[in-house]
Amino acid sequence: MPATLKFVIPSDARYLAVVRGALGPLTLGMGCDEAESRAIVLAVDEALSNVIRHAYHSRTDGVIELECRETPEELQFTLTDTGETPDLTKICARQIACDQPGGLGTHIIQDVMDTVSYRASPMGNCFVATKRLKKRT
Amino acid sequence: MNISVRILDRAQVVEVEGDVDLGSSPALRRTLFDGLTHTPKLALNLSAIRYIDSSGIATLLEVLKDAQRLGKAFVLFGLSPAVRQVFQLTHVSRIFQVFDTEQEAVGGE
Repeated sequence: MPATLKFVIPSDARYLAVVRGALGPLTLGMGCDEAESRAIVLAVDEALSNVIRHAYHSRTDGVIELECRETPEELQFTLTDTGETPDLTKICARQIACDQPGGLGTHIIQDVMDTVSYRASPMGNCFVATKRLKKRT
Repeated sequence: MNISVRILDRAQVVEVEGDVDLGSSPALRRTLFDGLTHTPKLALNLSAIRYIDSSGIATLLEVLKDAQRLGKAFVLFGLSPAVRQVFQLTHVSRIFQVFDTEQEAVGGE
């Protein structure tokens, strides 16, 4: 049976460490190795940071819901917020080996996760990313 | 995140401990930009960083560009495994001068 964990946090960067502190043991407990766990935690943290910066423009009074759903095949992370809807045409990853700072977070998310999607609905903005799990031996 | 600065004859060494993320990277940015104005070489010790995100990497890139503009050096040393992994993910390893030890980074200061 799929297990689901939910976090509801303010759009305040102070809470990012709290989520990271929970996701590390979660991914390790699912059989990820240290490097894979760090990469997944980083990608989810980048997605949360994007919501804080771009949807809520660093306002701390917004709400972000993070749902982590575990199935035997994959981990699925769903972020929902009610901030400004992102302009999907402006979401782009940086060029490889470029010395410009922009687009790093999006690059990390796309590199680490197997699927990434964004959609806007009357309920708010929704970001979904999945990571396939390696077969446990 | 804790930051401390040591002043040598011809370099400054910045030590960072803890997590560098969206909330803490502005403080690191201020320290590094301030340090650049006072020294010809700024060396950042990354060995005690448990976590760094893209805002931290972006900060390092901005400082490097400013150092190059000013004709100064900005070097890194002591990359922890966590930091090294993020450098690889973001393909910035070749952009920075990275050393194993402080002695190598500051050039025998």
